[in-house]
Amino acid sequence: MAQTRTGSNLIWNIVSYAVLIVLALLSIGPLLWMLLTSFKVDDDIVTRTMVYFPTRFTLENYIKLWNQSGYPVLVINSLVTTTLTVAICLFTGTIASYAFSRFNFPGRTPLMLGYLVVRMFPAVLMIIPLFIVMRNLGLFDTSLGLAVAYTSFLLPLFVWMLKGFFDAAPKELESAARIDGSTRIGAMFRIVIPIARNGLVATCVFVAIAAWNEYLFALMLTSSTGSRTWPVGLQLMVGEFQLPWGMLAAGGIISILPVIVLFALVQRVMVAGITAGAVKG
Amino acid sequence: MSRGRAMAALPPPRSTWDAINPLRMLGELSETRYWMYLLLLPSALLITAIVLFPTVYGFQLSFTEMRLNRPAGNGAFVGLKHYQRMLADPIFWLSLRNTAVWVTFSIVIEFVVGLVAALALNRNLPGGKILAVLILVPYFLPNVVAGNMWALMLDSRVGVVNDILVNIGLLDSYKAWFADPNTAMATAIFVEAWHSFPFFTLLIMAGLKGIPADLYKAADIDGAGAFAQLRLITLPMLRTIIAAAVILRVIGLVNSPDLLLILTQGGPGRSTQVLSLYAFQNAYSDFNFGYAGALSVVMFVLLMLFAWAYIRLSKVNQD
Repeated sequence: MAQTRTGSNLIWNIVSYAVLIVLALLSIGPLLWMLLTSFKVDDDIVTRTMVYFPTRFTLENYIKLWNQSGYPVLVINSLVTTTLTVAICLFTGTIASYAFSRFNFPGRTPLMLGYLVVRMFPAVLMIIPLFIVMRNLGLFDTSLGLAVAYTSFLLPLFVWMLKGFFDAAPKELESAARIDGSTRIGAMFRIVIPIARNGLVATCVFVAIAAWNEYLFALMLTSSTGSRTWPVGLQLMVGEFQLPWGMLAAGGIISILPVIVLFALVQRVMVAGITAGAVKG
Repeated sequence: MSRGRAMAALPPPRSTWDAINPLRMLGELSETRYWMYLLLLPSALLITAIVLFPTVYGFQLSFTEMRLNRPAGNGAFVGLKHYQRMLADPIFWLSLRNTAVWVTFSIVIEFVVGLVAALALNRNLPGGKILAVLILVPYFLPNVVAGNMWALMLDSRVGVVNDILVNIGLLDSYKAWFADPNTAMATAIFVEAWHSFPFFTLLIMAGLKGIPADLYKAADIDGAGAFAQLRLITLPMLRTIIAAAVILRVIGLVNSPDLLLILTQGGPGRSTQVLSLYAFQNAYSDFNFGYAGALSVVMFVLLMLFAWAYIRLSKVNQD
């Protein structure tokens, strides 16, 4: 009996490795292909027979992208919008999340559910009214307007994810501080938020990645290079240039670099946070 | 005893600075019983302003004439006109059918692949952590990059996938995957599944950690095989988490036209036209906000019905 147990365990381990390696290759392969393409000259991309490795390694695509397509402006716009989004979430969401985590009060459950249900509203249903409202307020085609629009789906996410991290922070230290005469707000800023800082960083990174990547709202709510973000600009290149594969690949690589770096830095805490929020949700 | 309390309640002597010190005032405010409401106020106001108000406004728009490119008669109440037009609109019905295909197949593939990956990762094999990170990467990639990356690889002239398939003999010649109405939807679903299966992996992995190992030991003693354990222990224990993941993913799939907008724009010949895309195009290209609003209201109602029915069903199964 023990013999067959070890035997079947070994088989399942081999199967698991096979599955994981195939999936990892499938996940990473396209990225590697894009990286290779970004270093190819046009003659190596558009060919009669497929060229797998660049015959001549070039940075031409990156230089062209940076100098000719106005990409730096797009990246700066995205940075501004992302920073504003994170700032709004941080200032309004952190305290809300803390309130949900630490207090029991009438209306708590319906309010929390409310923060969850707003995620169900179709993006298109909100984009149209937001477009009209933003135009009337003079926020259309501004980074601030776009950031506020992003908050509509990222703030509820921020609150729920951060609540998981606050829940995990022990309440005893806070009680001790209160006994020592600290006010509630003092305990929040001096005790609880510092304890949950890893979670806070991870939550901010998650929101930042989502804002950085967003395409649909940006397409609808920006109209000029004054606030247009990189996903919209990159997609516009598809129509603007003839066969821009090399430049597209270079743009893709540059744009996901910050995402990959941030993801790698905080992935462990972030993954725990996403799952914790979702499990309770 | 009562004397002591009265003493403690006496306000300490205050300097002028103390009276206007904002930090002290905030500290005192935080001791009142309304403190948690004050903490919630900023975010609640913001959500009301940018979620609830636009949603109500959107509902209202669906009953009005609102075409930004034809200013005459804008804002006029037209009752159910847009909804009547929808019933007679063949593109609406086609989009509805395509949405069902798009959501169903994407969900099934994402769930199965996500589950298999999570089960394999849960065996905690050496090197599993690195493989897990690699497998999760697609989920964090922007739609624009994921879409264009696959458009490049599936291109009818320079696509590497075509080259590989021809070389191993599965294809006779390069294929224009997104230009053929027979393959466009299936290919788009493949790209979508590639992009989002890690979502299921993530959630199911978290769920697997919560299943007591004793259950599997007991099943081993009873002689239950791997598939019996999956069917009788793992899946039932994961029921809540699977329900939550499916609902969240269905919402995402129904609501966001991003990937199809990048890959096919609904073509060729509307073979990948889905509801969210149709609504977005009505707003973005035709500026027909009234009709676009009506389409998104229908989407919203259908989603609500789905979520309600799905939760009811998974509760019934539980009993």
